[in-house]
Amino acid sequence: MAIDCEDQELLDGFLAETTELLEKLDDDLISLEKSPEDADLMNRIFRSIHTVKGASSFLGFDMLVKVTHKTEDVLNRLRKLELTLTSEIMDVILEAVDLVKTLVADIKGGDIVERDLEGTIAKLIPYLSENAVEATVLAPVFAPKEEKAAAPAETPAQAAAAEPAAAAEARPAAPQEAKAEPAPAQQVAPAPQPKPQPVKEPQKAPAKGGGEDLADNSTVRVDVKRLDDLMNQVGELVLERNRMIQLHSDYQTGLSPADFGDDFGKLSKRLNFVTSELQMQVLKMRMLPVEKVFKKFPRIVRNLARDLGKEVDLVIYGEETELDRSVVDEIGDPLIHLIRNALDHGLETPDQRLASGKDRTGTVVLSAAHEGNQIVISIKDDGRGIDPDKIARKALDKGLVTDEQVAAMGTREILDLIFLPGFSTKEQTTDLSGRGVGMDVVRTNIRKLNGIIEIKNEVGHGSEFILKLPLTLAIIQSLLVEVEKEVYSIPLASVIETMRVSKKEFHMIGGQEVLKLRDSVLPLLRLQRTFGCNEVYTDRDTCYVVIVGVAEKRIGLIVTRLLGQQEVAIKSLGKFLSNLPGIGGSTIMGDGRVALIVDPIGLVGGAA
Amino acid sequence: METALTKVKSEEYGGELIQLVSFNLEKEEYGINVLMVREIIRMLNITRVPNTPHYVEGVINLRGKVIPIINLRKKFDLLDTDYDKRTRIMVMEVVGELMGFIVDEVSEVIRISEKEIQPPPPVVSSGIEQECMAGVINQAERLLVLLDLEKMFSADERRLFSNVA
Repeated sequence: MAIDCEDQELLDGFLAETTELLEKLDDDLISLEKSPEDADLMNRIFRSIHTVKGASSFLGFDMLVKVTHKTEDVLNRLRKLELTLTSEIMDVILEAVDLVKTLVADIKGGDIVERDLEGTIAKLIPYLSENAVEATVLAPVFAPKEEKAAAPAETPAQAAAAEPAAAAEARPAAPQEAKAEPAPAQQVAPAPQPKPQPVKEPQKAPAKGGGEDLADNSTVRVDVKRLDDLMNQVGELVLERNRMIQLHSDYQTGLSPADFGDDFGKLSKRLNFVTSELQMQVLKMRMLPVEKVFKKFPRIVRNLARDLGKEVDLVIYGEETELDRSVVDEIGDPLIHLIRNALDHGLETPDQRLASGKDRTGTVVLSAAHEGNQIVISIKDDGRGIDPDKIARKALDKGLVTDEQVAAMGTREILDLIFLPGFSTKEQTTDLSGRGVGMDVVRTNIRKLNGIIEIKNEVGHGSEFILKLPLTLAIIQSLLVEVEKEVYSIPLASVIETMRVSKKEFHMIGGQEVLKLRDSVLPLLRLQRTFGCNEVYTDRDTCYVVIVGVAEKRIGLIVTRLLGQQEVAIKSLGKFLSNLPGIGGSTIMGDGRVALIVDPIGLVGGAA
Repeated sequence: METALTKVKSEEYGGELIQLVSFNLEKEEYGINVLMVREIIRMLNITRVPNTPHYVEGVINLRGKVIPIINLRKKFDLLDTDYDKRTRIMVMEVVGELMGFIVDEVSEVIRISEKEIQPPPPVVSSGIEQECMAGVINQAERLLVLLDLEKMFSADERRLFSNVA
């Protein structure tokens, strides 16, 4: 099996296509379980598997062919209504799909590790042959079903129910059956894995195993139309540059300053337009639909709901919402934790739900939408909501807060306690939860992205977690403020509101300046003091407060005045000045001066 | 080829030839290897950066790149004076990073042979830290202090840079 250059291209194409098909397959399969009568959906699933099978047989990935072929057989039966879809069958199919993913990932992994073609093949072959064992392990699982296709639907269901045991039994048996093939292969294998592992992997961690690793992040697929648009914009830019050069030479050869001023004004307007368009285009190319993250959730929810014995309806809105690649990469984990929490802590069991007069089936709504320059992702459940008293009690029990601290807290602050590392309402640590890590992960990742977390809570009726994230991380909208004649820029994504207040309204609580804002108490931070600016204005009795939020925390920054909003490109300060508290970077303003970008995370951390 | 050239040089000047940029600080003359110096610019608007050591004057925009500026007078604990029209920023590459150094005046580029460099005297009267002196050059009528900026920003110092609270 010598793969030459042409084959390499085919292989890449195959991997890209298979990855896409498989990603969609998960989603489709879950939908199919909900509406087994949907013939279109069924056909689509069948086609996907068939395509994978065809492509892999063309490329000679026998192991893939074996698995997909069997899966296809089962699907075909389902399609012809010779089999009724049960969740047990679905489990097996999903497992097979996971196996396919693992196989594809193996092919991909072997490909990436070794660039030398011969070495790649040498590595691929043992990978493949090793997986042959898995393929044969699966085969007996499917086999009984095929034989008993005509039998009543329960029989395959039973067979599938006994499947983990069967698989375990089959494992030692399989190598014997297929002795001739895997035995020599294993000797060649450079790093022979313990055999049970590859089989267990897709079973135990179906969500984390295949799907995520498959997503390829090193290349971008860009719509040709977007590229064309970009080219057009660049053309415009070139034209504007020519105009500028022309204008300058006109000026030198006697254009009157008044005319020059007029023309220059027009020119800068057009230039402004072209560059912002260009910026949008380039940004768009970095954008991915949030669907990429969302589509693995139906599967996770399904498994979780079964494990927890709850009935859950997952509703997803706005999956077409686009956001920057860097953001997409970071939000996956926090969302999984939030969804897990919604299912585990939020939703009640069907009986409890009925008892409190709700539908048996709980609903979790996952939605994404653009809001100005932010993306807003919300996870909402109609479960029991969060009980602040319980939270406070737990936090006290665990010694995370003191009595006095709790006494001084509003409802909001108490709800924020759930983000503390080590906090958990669970008495016992389970597979799912109880370690007190989840919400800390959420907070850490959202902070990293300069995002904001809001909790809406109604005891008895459910809770909603709202994540507000910036669209991109390289160019940001910022609020320019003046602090005693120095200009600082605050990322607008963190700014919640600004207000003008008289200094008389500030209060002191425990050595901390605070401002009473509506129903909450806002800690204040004088930027002038934090940044050690020379006080220039001593006689002013009003100032501006910029309220910034980092994850779940809020703080008011006192500044001298607000200068306005501007889009700024973030420049690093270099490694000598990289870790300054409260400073996240710098940017260059219209007049060429450097303005420092305030890092709200550093400030909030420092004030807490 | 190269060795042959060096040999010729060595015979002619007695040691390898190096070029130094000489600059003034508080009426004293200093030299720095020309290969370290990227460019020499006039004073620009410096943006102060809070919570940095006192000798970090701030940052400037050098054609789209933001680089830190260090006041050598402050760094060497010399008397701080106002900038005038002779004040210059020497942009140098120190341990892989561009940095600007404010000096009183940049005078010229001089060639000296390596042999002329003498080890620094054991006691230095001015505030310059001993370790960043690479040597002294004693020519007729003038005394140049050769600086080694890499040493000036020793590992410790760099850590200090980023961790001042």
